[in-house]
Amino acid sequence: MIGQFIDGPLWTFSLAVFLIGVIWRIVAILMAGNRPDLATPKGSAGAGALRALFSRFLPERTVATHGRLQLIAGYLFHLGLLALLFFAQPHIDFIADRITGLSWPAMPHWAFIVAAELAFAGLILLWLYRILNPVTRLLSDLDDHIGTILVFLVMLTGCLALAQAFEPLRLIHLLLAELLLIYFPFSKLMHAFTFIMSRGYTGATMGRKGVNA
Amino acid sequence: MIRSKILQFDSGDGTPAGWLLLLLLLLYSLPLDTIAKEAVSRGLPSAAVLNPAAELWRDVRQRDQPTTGSTQVRGVDSGVLINAYGDRWRKFRMQQLIPIGGYMLMGIVVVLAVFYLVRGKVPIEGGESDRKLPRYSTYERMIHWFIASIFLFLAITGLILLFGRPVLIPMLGKETFSILASACKEGHNLMGPLFLLALILVFIKFVRRNIYQKGDLSWLLRGGGIIGPKHVPSNFFNMGEKTMFWMLVLVGSLIVVSGLVLVFPLFGQGREWMELAHVGHAIGALLMIGVIIGHIYIGTIGMEGAIEGMKTGYCDLNWAKEHHDLWASRAEARGEALSNEAVGQLRDLDPLPSSLGARTQEAGK
Repeated sequence: MIGQFIDGPLWTFSLAVFLIGVIWRIVAILMAGNRPDLATPKGSAGAGALRALFSRFLPERTVATHGRLQLIAGYLFHLGLLALLFFAQPHIDFIADRITGLSWPAMPHWAFIVAAELAFAGLILLWLYRILNPVTRLLSDLDDHIGTILVFLVMLTGCLALAQAFEPLRLIHLLLAELLLIYFPFSKLMHAFTFIMSRGYTGATMGRKGVNA
Repeated sequence: MIRSKILQFDSGDGTPAGWLLLLLLLLYSLPLDTIAKEAVSRGLPSAAVLNPAAELWRDVRQRDQPTTGSTQVRGVDSGVLINAYGDRWRKFRMQQLIPIGGYMLMGIVVVLAVFYLVRGKVPIEGGESDRKLPRYSTYERMIHWFIASIFLFLAITGLILLFGRPVLIPMLGKETFSILASACKEGHNLMGPLFLLALILVFIKFVRRNIYQKGDLSWLLRGGGIIGPKHVPSNFFNMGEKTMFWMLVLVGSLIVVSGLVLVFPLFGQGREWMELAHVGHAIGALLMIGVIIGHIYIGTIGMEGAIEGMKTGYCDLNWAKEHHDLWASRAEARGEALSNEAVGQLRDLDPLPSSLGARTQEAGK
């Protein structure tokens, strides 16, 4: 009974909340518009936006030296999670069955294990840094912790269900993934989409002023 | 003998093997039990009636080493008809490892409970000071809690897998336990390699301050001050903490290596290696769990102020003087002691700026 609810209506509802919420948030940001800049442009805003979008993937020197662990842990977590989300065989099958009808090659099992290890190590270290470092602790609010815990639980229950032998384990994983989808648009997890706009905006502003930033 | 003959029967057209199989089936179908009973009832010796299947397995079991026959199936141990060590391992696990391990862990908990009732929480005798010493940096606390969280997860899932059958099945039932066991196995296997990463990080960061030095032996000989009324001089880490560190490194390495042998059967390790790895893994893990229970006891209810350093990065000056006075007196002489108000403000910043952190580590030597 509850399994059918998780697998059916709740999945549809959570996916709808996620899609509508994300589109609404992005449209709201785009609709906010820019303040008119009457100064004569000294460079290309578009080139600045593109430069900022990609150059920010490389850390600034001080971050690379003083925040090395956070940097490595950050990359481990994000790349690991991305690989798990889109290249794990069960996820590809699920997406093909329930959403797109499209399938693509999955990563081998050993790569799945490596990705999961890296993602877990990165997430745990980042969260510990968040709560132990006085600065990040002060900067963090409840949203940060809820987002982290939800992502962690989704990853953990997914790995606990790895044998794919017990339906309750799959349902627990799906339930938590649905809660994450519902929470996602209203949280800082939106940075998965909004980082493009924030980097682009900063880069365009600086590019127009002729600043290489 | 019989087994090797069977394995060597591979004529290609299957005729000899087929005849032998038919013969075996006919022998199985004979009413041997009835014949044996009848023989006994007539007063004849029952040993005269042989069960060919039992003879075969007995013959195989009584070999010193499991010899490998020839087979077309490729794979580790695929030519071994029966591994006699497997039964020995199973009996050890069921009859010794599980009961003795269980009693050992329960015994540790009982001893600590009795000790707590007798001794109570070890207080800071001088009371809390109005000054603190910086003890651990953010990074040091981070990797401590990293290995702690991984260890706890592995310990809980491992204990469920080891003791689940006798302890949890009567409570949860077989069906629920099978789900829990599957989840624990997957989680344990997945998180296991992270313990190796955590162990390496901890080793690199803490090894210098855990090298044994002058004064450690006297700390040990005087029971660490826990038993008697007087405190014993100690450095940044006392003899007990250093011993726990080296146990973590050495026994932890055994647990990691044996765990990798069990999780990744990719390097040609057969059942015997796996059985050996399992025994080493379980004994090492039970030992470490026992030690960590004691560590957690001291850090939480056993001693006032013990966990503060790992929580906040700072420890009370009086606590430091009572438990790590050799380090505390040096740190105080260097002017590292800060007022509680200053610490309150500094906790907005990194508790150990790099220069101070380096001095503290040096002082720990």
